[in-house]
Amino acid sequence: MIEKKDSLAIGEYIKNFARKHSLFVLAYGTGCGAIEIPPTMTSRYDAERFGIRGAATPRQADVLLITGYLATKTLKRVIRVYEQMQDPKYVIGFGSCTINGGMYWDSYNTINSLDKYIPVDVFINGCMPRPEAVISGFVKLQEYIQEGKADGWRKYQNNIEEYRENQKRIIKNWRMPDYNL
Amino acid sequence: MNWSLILGITITIITAFTVGMFYGGISRKVTARIQNRVGPPIWQNFLDVLKLYSKESAIHHGWMQHLGPLWAITASTATLMFVPILNNGQFYQNLNFSGDLIFLMYMMVFGQLGMALGAGQTGNPNSAIGVSRGLSQMVGYKVPWLLALVAIMVQYKATSITGLIELQNQIGWLMFASPFAFIAGLLAFIGMMHYSPFDIVFAPSELASGPPSEFGGKYLGLMMTSGSIFTFAKLVLFVDVFLGGASNILELLLKTFVIYMIPVIYGIVSPRYRTEQSIRYFWGWPTFFGVIGMLYAWYMIS
Amino acid sequence: MMNSLFLLLFILFGSAILSYIGHRISETLGNIIVVVGAFSASIWFFVGFETPAEFSYKIADFDALWSFSSYSWIFAALVSILSPLALLYSTSYMKGKERLGTFYFNFFLSILGMIGITMSQDFISLFIFWEIMTWSSYLIVIYLGKDVEKVGIKYMIFSAIGAYALLMGIVLINREVGSLLIEDAFAYFPQIQFSTQLLIGILLLIGFSIKSAMMPLHVWAPGAYSNSPMSYTAVFSGALSKMGIYGLGLVFIRLLSSGEFTLINEIFAWAGAITTLMATFYAIIQDDAKKLLAYSSIGQLGYIIVGVAIGTELSIMAAIYLAILHAAFKGNLFMAIGAVEKQTGSTDMTLVTGLIRKMPLTFFSTLVSIIALAAVPPLGGFVGKWMLYQSLLASEHFFLIIVIFTASTAAFLYSFKILYSLFLGQEEPEFKNIKEAPLPMLIPMILLSLFLIVTGTFPGILFEPIANGMKYLGFNDVNWNMSLLVNAWGDEVNLQHVSMYIGTIFIVAFIFISLKNRKRTRYVTTKDISTSGEIPLPHENLSFKLNFYKPFERAISPVMKKTMDSIYDEIGNGLNALFQFIRYIYSGNGQGYALYVIIFFVLLLLLKNQIFGL
Repeated sequence: MIEKKDSLAIGEYIKNFARKHSLFVLAYGTGCGAIEIPPTMTSRYDAERFGIRGAATPRQADVLLITGYLATKTLKRVIRVYEQMQDPKYVIGFGSCTINGGMYWDSYNTINSLDKYIPVDVFINGCMPRPEAVISGFVKLQEYIQEGKADGWRKYQNNIEEYRENQKRIIKNWRMPDYNL
Repeated sequence: MNWSLILGITITIITAFTVGMFYGGISRKVTARIQNRVGPPIWQNFLDVLKLYSKESAIHHGWMQHLGPLWAITASTATLMFVPILNNGQFYQNLNFSGDLIFLMYMMVFGQLGMALGAGQTGNPNSAIGVSRGLSQMVGYKVPWLLALVAIMVQYKATSITGLIELQNQIGWLMFASPFAFIAGLLAFIGMMHYSPFDIVFAPSELASGPPSEFGGKYLGLMMTSGSIFTFAKLVLFVDVFLGGASNILELLLKTFVIYMIPVIYGIVSPRYRTEQSIRYFWGWPTFFGVIGMLYAWYMIS
Repeated sequence: MMNSLFLLLFILFGSAILSYIGHRISETLGNIIVVVGAFSASIWFFVGFETPAEFSYKIADFDALWSFSSYSWIFAALVSILSPLALLYSTSYMKGKERLGTFYFNFFLSILGMIGITMSQDFISLFIFWEIMTWSSYLIVIYLGKDVEKVGIKYMIFSAIGAYALLMGIVLINREVGSLLIEDAFAYFPQIQFSTQLLIGILLLIGFSIKSAMMPLHVWAPGAYSNSPMSYTAVFSGALSKMGIYGLGLVFIRLLSSGEFTLINEIFAWAGAITTLMATFYAIIQDDAKKLLAYSSIGQLGYIIVGVAIGTELSIMAAIYLAILHAAFKGNLFMAIGAVEKQTGSTDMTLVTGLIRKMPLTFFSTLVSIIALAAVPPLGGFVGKWMLYQSLLASEHFFLIIVIFTASTAAFLYSFKILYSLFLGQEEPEFKNIKEAPLPMLIPMILLSLFLIVTGTFPGILFEPIANGMKYLGFNDVNWNMSLLVNAWGDEVNLQHVSMYIGTIFIVAFIFISLKNRKRTRYVTTKDISTSGEIPLPHENLSFKLNFYKPFERAISPVMKKTMDSIYDEIGNGLNALFQFIRYIYSGNGQGYALYVIIFFVLLLLLKNQIFGL
């Protein structure tokens, strides 16, 4: 007999399997890393064989790919896009700039650590990370999704006040619509 | 309650969904192979839909957006119900005898109108632009499609699809009996499938995917479901009218697959038409062949 | 005991006078009189006379006869149902306008005219009622005082042409037949000389087809429909234009029944089809909702003309059915647009936007009427279009069917445009405080919507009187079923199956999508859209309204270059030049006139052999 708990787990397993193999990526390509996206998606490295494909709008997307540094001005847009995505949603920080600021670590108008403002599930190190690295990052994300560890979106919901505080520290004139959960 | 009817409807819808999804996956695979890629597995579309249904949140901008995908799936399954899947009612008959070709032509627009209204309510200008292009293009490809079907209807004095299939059992496929109507119908059919070069409606990088741009999660999932069912229904309709239907599932799959590959392969190597270019295209050669088909039908009956 | 027919006209005329007086005293009193008068006339029409009532009299040596035939009863019933609803709507729509007494006086008079036309069995009363209808509608067209010199004069001129054509035809009939009774005309018409028959037919057809806005004679219609108050336009387009159809039916089926006139039938069918196509194209490029609906009315009337002109059993049935349906959905649409105009002050589709959440019931009735107009299956409009196409297929009008089917597909464009522009799209802050239309405006719209929904599954409720009326036209055993459509080749559409299937699937899917993640499905405003992460400010305009169908306009631009208006303008300019030239002859110079006289005599002398045959 399958216990109710088990059947829930089976359901969750199937859902995670589907989520893992179907990642619609919204590439937020303001930084220099955007140039690495086309080779990743096209013939040479072909990310589509992992079920990764581009999404046109945040409503349809699962993965937000932040390619490189984020200026303080663009952070607002990134938060907006992230909040428009539907749960479960994942963020991949791409390049050193999203981890610690990279070569812009002491710049007056870029943020240093993306993780403070939106929850990042996977960081891909490098400046620039090559397509192989990008794909390995995606595969890592797939592993996390299958294990149920890619729960940045839940973290964001639970610690929304903390994230808001951090965000408001950067964005002085805060005019965002409310994010109701 | 007529349980066998309900069972038949359920099985037909599931079959159509499965076949439509696999065809979508195959088209992605073929595209990938032509572009020298490995491509996703052919069951990729199932995973996409399953993922969309397992999304945990959704947004809507009002009742009309909530109802839009519903309209689409109602219309696409309704279209499926009135198209005979196999000859002689070997498969479930569903409602094959309750509608005819003219009914189907209007039924097929029902879903598009609902989708257009749903997309309209989102307030996204890209959606509205997409809808405006889609409806304009529809007027374009409807003209040769109509000419083809009317030519057949007047020549063989039947508007019901089952009647046309029975007729083709005697005189052979209408593809050869009315070749000009077939050419017009095929060219119009390429437009109906919305593959390149007629995909300006859903242009992802220009319009942010157009009408579905504000749909996510369960809504997008329902739209993809409806889309695959509708694709299958259109293919079966085309096979029933021009290729003499099919007497078993394998034959049906073979015929629909061949027809399906025409727009796909034509699309991969084609750039994109602008809206007025595609309208003028449909009102050019396809309409010309349609008129020839019509005159041929006229000549044949008089 | 007063005759029941006479009493009907008396009620209408009395209501006209009383509502004029009532509105002079106070608006509330006037409105009460209007509603009571309209509904009592309508109730009297339906319950007042069971047996076919007759009323005959003599004026100036002519026999006059009033009675409803089973055919004209359909049109009278149409008027009797639509007009009280429009008047009820009107009491709220016209609130606070000036000269209300005059408006309602003319409104009642035109209802009287329409009822009179359907009940007159002789040409003299027909013509008199026709003129009453024309004049009262003219006075309402110019009632708001907007564009009088353009719209009013156009309507006037075309109505006058129609009236003269009609009168000429009637005079010719009287000369040839010797009687003015319509039945006599039908009976003795075949004995007349063929050329006179042809002339009478064409004159009457021109007279009637002007009112039903057929293509070369339609130019009055867009202005007149959009210029009069919407409560009247509902009747104007819904019922008054059907008087033309009524006449066309009589002429085509009863008068020109012999086989020699098929060419005229074909010409009128083609004119109707081209009317449909061109009017649909023009409707697509309009930016004012009223203008759009006006052109759409012309287009829909085109279908009906096609049906009447083809003249087979199924096509006549389709035409009458479409006439009734058109009255319902176009009346409903004009009322809904009137409600939008009343609540927002504008019908400009580029300005008004996002009303769906403010006026949900108005949106519902617009949606239902649009679905019926676009002939999408589960609603009534589909039935009429289906019968029309089947009749065209059976009577081998192949290219006609392509033209009107294309027009019907193109109708989706303007159908969507009117729904999207007014009700969907961005919700702008300037329309934040709009309320739903008041109850007297909603009730007629909801009733008409319900009618459209019911006819989608059970068109038989309309087929019954139609089949009855077609006996008068000579089709004695018309086959009809409650909810089953059968064509000439035995193919059928079972409407009950369609509706049941659509309803079931819709409900199942609705339950699924509504219950799934119900707690985490939320409503967001229309400013919360994916705009590349940008946050639109309240005043930022994100609507896509202007040039909505620009690509389509570009594609059809070759056929849109020359409008009928410009052709009439050119004719006018040409006549102007001719008259200018004639004016030069009257130079006002005595010697010049003397010269003319001399030239005349010289010509006379030179040509006397040829002229006098000497």
